[in-house]
Amino acid sequence: MSKRFCVSLTYAKNDPDKATVAFVVANAAVASDKETLVFLSTEGVRLGVKGYADDIHEQGFAPLRELMANFVKAGGKIFVCSPCFKKRGLDETKVVDGAVVVGGAKLVEFLSEGSPCVSY
Amino acid sequence: MTDFPAAPGCAAELSSHAAWDAGDTGCGELLLELRFRMAALRAGERLRLVARDPGAIEDMPAWCRLTGHKLIHADHPQYLIERRSEP
Repeated sequence: MSKRFCVSLTYAKNDPDKATVAFVVANAAVASDKETLVFLSTEGVRLGVKGYADDIHEQGFAPLRELMANFVKAGGKIFVCSPCFKKRGLDETKVVDGAVVVGGAKLVEFLSEGSPCVSY
Repeated sequence: MTDFPAAPGCAAELSSHAAWDAGDTGCGELLLELRFRMAALRAGERLRLVARDPGAIEDMPAWCRLTGHKLIHADHPQYLIERRSEP
């Protein structure tokens, strides 16, 4: 059984339901002792900016800001796609705690060492 | 030891060291908080959990298999989980 788990997320406020559920599943993985990565790409990178997720609160779920903070607190990693981030003119000095702006090699490295991945 | 109200014949008849009523919380939110609460126990100590989310019926056994904690008793929505020894 793999010790790793990856959640790939490509949505932000354009689909807050998907954005929220992605982090709920990521929390399930990290809570199950998996080394867990959330990979934010395309529109999903907006979640990597401090404050962006503060007003996302889907019915029936905890606020996304809280889900993300708990994920990082539990040891989860967040990778933010660098070209996606730059394309949108986002500020790399305002990345959320626990997130790292990375190129594709970091994702490839994580997955290549053996990890399932679920995409939202 | 923690007293915990429950229906006769349920997991409450087994002893526990901590109790948590998770209400309707489910999936990752439930598991993450459960992880923190289990970490606060010593090896062999037990947590009595009430988890009303319907997903808990399948999730609790799966989570215990993944983490190595022991599911002593399951009678939805009541669960009794024993903390694993350190790996």
